[in-house]
Amino acid sequence: MTNPVTKDRRHFEDLAVGEVIDLGHVSVSREMIFSFAREFDPLPFHLDEAAAKASLLGGLASSGWQTGALSLRMLVDSFLGKIASAGGLGFTNLKWKNPVMVGDTIGGTVTIAELRRSESHPQWGILTLDFNVQNQKQAPVLTMRLANLVETRSQA
Amino acid sequence: MTRWFENIVIDEVFPLGDHTFSTEEIIRFATLYDPQYFHIDEEAARHSHFGGLVASGWHTVSVGHRKMVDTLEAEEERLRDEGNEPGVSGPSPGVNSMEFKVPVRPGDTVTYELVVTDKRASNSIPGWGLLFNRITAKNQRGELVYKAELVAFSKLRDYRMPLQLKVLLALTRIPVIGPLLKRGT
Repeated sequence: MTNPVTKDRRHFEDLAVGEVIDLGHVSVSREMIFSFAREFDPLPFHLDEAAAKASLLGGLASSGWQTGALSLRMLVDSFLGKIASAGGLGFTNLKWKNPVMVGDTIGGTVTIAELRRSESHPQWGILTLDFNVQNQKQAPVLTMRLANLVETRSQA
Repeated sequence: MTRWFENIVIDEVFPLGDHTFSTEEIIRFATLYDPQYFHIDEEAARHSHFGGLVASGWHTVSVGHRKMVDTLEAEEERLRDEGNEPGVSGPSPGVNSMEFKVPVRPGDTVTYELVVTDKRASNSIPGWGLLFNRITAKNQRGELVYKAELVAFSKLRDYRMPLQLKVLLALTRIPVIGPLLKRGT
């Protein structure tokens, strides 16, 4: 059965190990940090500039989960939204290397590290992606290895 | 947890509460952070193998983090009300693994819990310990939604700083010498 939403997108067979995806970049504003923190990480050093200055981070920084979510958004815009993605399986070795401070611009690359066909579900392949996200000073911000399902063309 | 590192018991279960996911919030989160069609478009999502709209895994995890923050803050308040000094939790260096299992659909209620599976003193930061936390999320049918293995810093209550380190720290506060020492480390 062909999926009308993804039929014209790249499938598992069209991808190659070693392909490097340019994530583009996103600037992280005060309002973005406050908005995420209010809903998901309401700690004083994500919500209040004075508390943030007095904290270990020394200033207003985004929640690590927001940094991850913004990295995911960049990947969806540059890659996952253009292929026959069938959802995420999870990730390993997520590391928050440096905090993302208000006004920082983050970007970077994602590399296809592995491609393998699912043994139990031949309609899917498993795509493994290595994230390398940096700030505008080229300091590392986030690394992780993400596993994502991709539809195959040949479902035999 | 908002307990001193020394008082944390391995394998003790901390319930973090639950959350019911609405269609509106699933779409709102995904529009900002994970705009794939099965997270933002109910009609198109029917063609996916999910057969309908599902929450972004990152959304269910972010809610889990919120539940943990709320639980910690309530515990801290309770300890202060009892006249006790709560422990100090620090930043998290990362997540060892995150496995998404059963998807979350509109109307699902997800229940979160945390277990500390191991702890040890930090090698890199004197006076702090590392907690190895497992968070599990289950839906209203008891099916596993995700399982995460996270690492977090926790301050040691009984730590006595060695004299050598005290001297070194004092030196780093002196102008000229301090920046030179910091550059060396």
